[in-house]
Amino acid sequence: MALPRRNSGSRFTLAVLLLSSITLISLDARGYEPLTKLRKAATAVVQPFRNLASTIFDPIGDAWESLSQGDNLEKENALLRAQLGDLLEYRTTTEGAVEELAALRTQLGLENLGGQETVVAEVTAQSVSNFDPYILEIGKGTQNGIREGMAVISVGGLIGRIEDPGLRSARVRLVTDPNVSIGVLVVGTNQVGILTGNGVGQPLRVPDGIPVSADVEIGSILVTSGSERSPYPGGFAVGTILEVLVDEINLEKELVVAPTGQFENLEFVTVVLYEPLDNQNGRGN
Amino acid sequence: MLMFRFIKALFVITLVLVLQLELFSSIRFFGVMPELMLGLAVASGWHGGPSNGALTGFVCGFAVDLYLATPLGLSALSYALIAYLIGIVAEIVAEDVERIVRLIISIASVALGLVLFVLFGELIAEPNLYNKNFGKILVVGALYTGLFVPLLHYMMSWVFHEGSHAGNQRPMNRSQLT
Repeated sequence: MALPRRNSGSRFTLAVLLLSSITLISLDARGYEPLTKLRKAATAVVQPFRNLASTIFDPIGDAWESLSQGDNLEKENALLRAQLGDLLEYRTTTEGAVEELAALRTQLGLENLGGQETVVAEVTAQSVSNFDPYILEIGKGTQNGIREGMAVISVGGLIGRIEDPGLRSARVRLVTDPNVSIGVLVVGTNQVGILTGNGVGQPLRVPDGIPVSADVEIGSILVTSGSERSPYPGGFAVGTILEVLVDEINLEKELVVAPTGQFENLEFVTVVLYEPLDNQNGRGN
Repeated sequence: MLMFRFIKALFVITLVLVLQLELFSSIRFFGVMPELMLGLAVASGWHGGPSNGALTGFVCGFAVDLYLATPLGLSALSYALIAYLIGIVAEIVAEDVERIVRLIISIASVALGLVLFVLFGELIAEPNLYNKNFGKILVVGALYTGLFVPLLHYMMSWVFHEGSHAGNQRPMNRSQLT
């Protein structure tokens, strides 16, 4: 088995390709506009093929899901029934809390959610990567007024924010991403902390910022704080406190939070057409 | 001739890309989808040799990059490199290598490609790439992709070996391809 002599041409080709890749990575990291446009254009060109393929393959994907997740669905149904029972019971005891929450919002100067314009978008794909499961794709984009950073909600509350919107599609970065941070307020208190994701299927966390003396309780609702620099409008339900852990050394409380928004089997989501003032000014400049 | 090969390659890449994005992103084993485009880059290295393979691998990676949240060029870098390496390996091993050996080499290359992708990603501090599921993604992803490797080889054989893809081996000298 004789080793063939490789010509310098193949090495030159490889060197050019590697340099091109590194240049692309570098330019993309700097937010080089033509590359962003190229990405959007390529997405738009292939989108009709994807839509066609989606029409053909969706039933196959659904069938696979029902086959592979049959047991999970039964368990989920049982869990949901139990939760529904609990919620009905909870509702009778907490009807007054709704009025209390409205009063608190007014008191804290949070914006009225009802006043925000929204767009309902179909979830066209889950994550298309093995390495980044914190992404959804939706079938509406800048054509429908959707902009980078806008909040996305599903049944129950906030689930993510818009990332890299195209003309007719956009990505949603889910709050379960460990790299996502959200300023939150514990309803009924003035306690504000930073909520971070903790992976798919894992509870969210507020690792610090809540003093040990703060009166936070299990079951309390967390809403977006709507602080000046936050990309989210205030008052969106994000989660309920599952557990309160006390850090004796730093004299802080760590909150383990169950997200209120639905992440599984999403078909539609709502995008809140809200842009923080910073974004609007930045675009204006 | 070159133009015809280019069109065939473009057709195969688009077809596999759409299949990966629309079909296999929802048909997952243990939450892992096959890395068909990486498998295609590996097959292109095998059939096209280091130079053509690296170029096709780059295009495969670039096409995937357009749809990922990771920086543009990260997959292109990994796929081009792995296609080049497999091109060298394919030149070293015997021309009439058993298909099972080719399959094993291809699966190992897919795993190596995933490692390279994560490694380069970590070097540029890209979040979410190396996580606790990495081992599972590596093993399941490579084996799952392995199921489609014969088909991907067949496609790339069709692209690079004019009129002789039915044998699915390398019937001609690579110097004729360049």
